[in-house]
Amino acid sequence: MSQDLPPQGGYGPVQYRRNLPPRGFRPSFYIFATFAVCAYGFYRVIDATHEKRELAREKRWARIHLAPVLQAEEDRDMVRRVWAGERREELLMKDVKGWKFGSVYHSDRFVKPSFVPTPSQITPGLAPHYVPDEEEAK
Amino acid sequence: MSNNREPRFNQHVLVDTVPLPDHIPKVDEVGASSAPLLSAAFFIGARCRPYNDDYMKCKDESPGRGELDCMREGRKVTRCAISVLEDINTHCLEQFRAHWDCLERRNHLLWKCRKQEWPLNACVFEKIGLEKTIPGAPEGQTPIHLRTNVKYT
Repeated sequence: MSQDLPPQGGYGPVQYRRNLPPRGFRPSFYIFATFAVCAYGFYRVIDATHEKRELAREKRWARIHLAPVLQAEEDRDMVRRVWAGERREELLMKDVKGWKFGSVYHSDRFVKPSFVPTPSQITPGLAPHYVPDEEEAK
Repeated sequence: MSNNREPRFNQHVLVDTVPLPDHIPKVDEVGASSAPLLSAAFFIGARCRPYNDDYMKCKDESPGRGELDCMREGRKVTRCAISVLEDINTHCLEQFRAHWDCLERRNHLLWKCRKQEWPLNACVFEKIGLEKTIPGAPEGQTPIHLRTNVKYT
């Protein structure tokens, strides 16, 4: 029995890949290009971070300069209200025998009042520095 | 939704109107809103830093009683801040107004208002002699408020 055999001189070369010219640049170019782009990006990010830090410092110092101004006003107003409350207490309780004036706490620490009294009338005997207009008071 | 109800109070004036006693020297309120205060903050700091530090130190040293014990220092702080604002108002009102108006519109971001800030700084330095400096900024670099080449613009 005769068998199938290759032709004389063997088979021709098999074309297992397309015969196209390589596209684009060398692969190493892409690696270095990626590094370069990333490096520039990080440079910008780090630069901006440093700038942000300085901006934060500026904002912080603006607030540091303003804090005592606001605090002083606030404190003065609170002291005014507390003293007015004490005076009001004296006027209200002057007839009560054995009434103990002063702090209700067991120390002379300044305790920020938890409640804000808003008297509907100006305490008699104390001069008002703010008198509402008639229209406003309606 | 019922959250658009008018508030109802049983009285109109909801403040205690009694003034401070007469033996306490009178001080005005600063009376500036947030944007002018922020705009003038570094000038207040330039002139009033000693008073401010004094007041904060006083409050730190008398915990619990600082509100009462440091009223004297507090008055100095307020008077100094008022003096700075008055000086700026008399000498550099136009630039000052432009700057705080910008701050008001730009969410109080200082870096968005450099264009208005530079003339104000120049005017205040020339006429009042107060200079904006940021303490603790790294040396050898242009201060952030003077840079022209910035990432945040």
